[in-house]
Amino acid sequence: MSRYFREISVAAALALVLVGLALFARAFYQPQPLLTLVTSQVAPTLVIACGMTLVIICRQIDISVGSSFAICGVCGALLLKQGFPIGLALPASVLLGAAFGALNGALVAGLGLPSIVVTLATMVTWREALRWLRQGVYVNIGTENQWFGLSQRAGQWTIIIVAVGLMIGLAVVMKHLAAGRFVYAVGTDAEAARLAGIRPRLVTFLCFVLIGALTGLAAMMSAVQSPQVDPTAGVGLELRTIAAVVVGGVSISGGRGNLWGVLAGLLLLSSINPALTYLGVSAFWEKAIQGTIILLAVVADGLRSRKRAN
Amino acid sequence: MNSDKHGLKKLLFRHETLLLLVLVGEWLFFYFRGTTTNFSGVTVGFGTAGAQIDILRHSCEIGLLALVMTPVILTGGIDLSVGSLMGLSAVVFGKLWRDAGVPIPAAITATLALGALAGGLNATLITALRLPPLIVTLGTFSLFRGLAEALTRGADTFTGFPASFQAIGQNNWFGLPAQLLVFVLVAAAIWLLVHRTTLGRSFRAIGYASEGARYAGLPVGRRLATVYILAGLGASLAGLIFTARLNQAGANTGTGYELFAITAVVLGGTSIFGGSGSVHGTLLGWAAVAVLSDSLPYVDWPREVGGMLTGLLLIVALSAGVLPKFLSAWRARRHSSRSVNPQPTPSP
Repeated sequence: MSRYFREISVAAALALVLVGLALFARAFYQPQPLLTLVTSQVAPTLVIACGMTLVIICRQIDISVGSSFAICGVCGALLLKQGFPIGLALPASVLLGAAFGALNGALVAGLGLPSIVVTLATMVTWREALRWLRQGVYVNIGTENQWFGLSQRAGQWTIIIVAVGLMIGLAVVMKHLAAGRFVYAVGTDAEAARLAGIRPRLVTFLCFVLIGALTGLAAMMSAVQSPQVDPTAGVGLELRTIAAVVVGGVSISGGRGNLWGVLAGLLLLSSINPALTYLGVSAFWEKAIQGTIILLAVVADGLRSRKRAN
Repeated sequence: MNSDKHGLKKLLFRHETLLLLVLVGEWLFFYFRGTTTNFSGVTVGFGTAGAQIDILRHSCEIGLLALVMTPVILTGGIDLSVGSLMGLSAVVFGKLWRDAGVPIPAAITATLALGALAGGLNATLITALRLPPLIVTLGTFSLFRGLAEALTRGADTFTGFPASFQAIGQNNWFGLPAQLLVFVLVAAAIWLLVHRTTLGRSFRAIGYASEGARYAGLPVGRRLATVYILAGLGASLAGLIFTARLNQAGANTGTGYELFAITAVVLGGTSIFGGSGSVHGTLLGWAAVAVLSDSLPYVDWPREVGGMLTGLLLIVALSAGVLPKFLSAWRARRHSSRSVNPQPTPSP
């Protein structure tokens, strides 16, 4: 119980919100709006949050995901518009994202630069480059490419299944495979991990490549949801993702946390806006409540670690 | 510390000196490419006093944030909430003045008090519970912006402030923007604090080794509280100046400014891990960012390129800082691996 205290309390808070909605706002549970909400708001963010979890467990951070999300989405959409099939545009977007991640990883793991500054710089650079080259023009991929060319229902379920499948797969890897444990080891103590025969720089580099590739995937999952791809997508995405990861119990000082908690944290944070809307409260309170939840989560952490120390 | 022969070389390769060269280069480039004479023989463009004053006027707010961010980063912390606090300050100021009928001087005082209070909230969470500043200020980043949006329902803006208040952001005093005077005063105060007081020394000591500073008898908690409250004050001052400059206060005031402020500080040579850095470095970093982000229209380049170049400059500055160490470590590794497996010397 105490070991998974955070995961359980976040899940309990989420259950409370869901029960509250069931009692006071039945409209929230209409299947189609709920499905659209989960596909558009939760699934792509979950995919990026998976990568962010690994990066943060590795005691690094990546705040450039919002910008590479926008670039990958636009580039994938441009390929689709040129008439290339989704089978080519999707891997291209993933590869481009991985390349962005590899650049961050090379600067962080190779040169030993602080990840927050490196990704701050790449975030500004990529965002401004996209603005300059595209001038905010939407990319029209047409309805034939929407939902990967499937029906809306099938497309939505595909996106949800891929996101959840990825998350469960990664959760298993992190818990049961050596590769996953390496990430925890490097995040807990890089020098000790090195002495144990792990290559911390390689692990860090690969974590950045992974979050890049997942960002590319998430970008396409989000891009195919409408016939027009927004080039300003993903502004503030990095902080939303980090918030979900932190609320889910991943320690920002590395080495602790798991993906199930992140799923609960993301669902809790994503449920605020619809909950406010359906309960008739002004939706402008969303960010304030999000901030309060983040602070509550870290305060609980601080109090618990102080109690343990005493 | 060094012999004189090394002293000159050290001065030449100091981060600040290189940054100054970059800044001068930038300025000269824009001066020669961005200044022209029109038909009636009047000089227009970057080289005119008007353009220089405009650039200064636009960048004072980010400069203020960068100044108060410097002590925070020196202690090894970070404050992501300053941009959001600018927004909250602007909205609270507007609400006090328009809806509550509070006179301007009292509203300014109350807004600054709010800034100190908000900084105090960050400080309490960071010091009393020993939480990581990155996460605490990420939470308040969301909280302050959210409160600003909730207070204005996302759409309400405040305008029509009295001319005496707008003067702070729009008038010239002695040929210079009025807010530059505020900026210079704050810069002088922060420089004295960081470089000429024991308080400033203790910031660096905490950033270098927080536990060590504690064992040396420094009141680490109180010192950290000082830097975060100072950051809160600076952010609300920047919010007020922004409001005066545009004669408008909205919930989105200062969005993304925290990132530009951090860029200026890090570009100025302050280590993001704390312990080393300088206020004059921050001023140079700020000037480099300000010139790059505001001057490109004068040479007919899109403004976005300025943002791009700022990001690239940050990466180059960081890499240049670690490259000598990286190369020597690499050489040492190669050397040691050679001595472990000595090659047989070929006989002549």
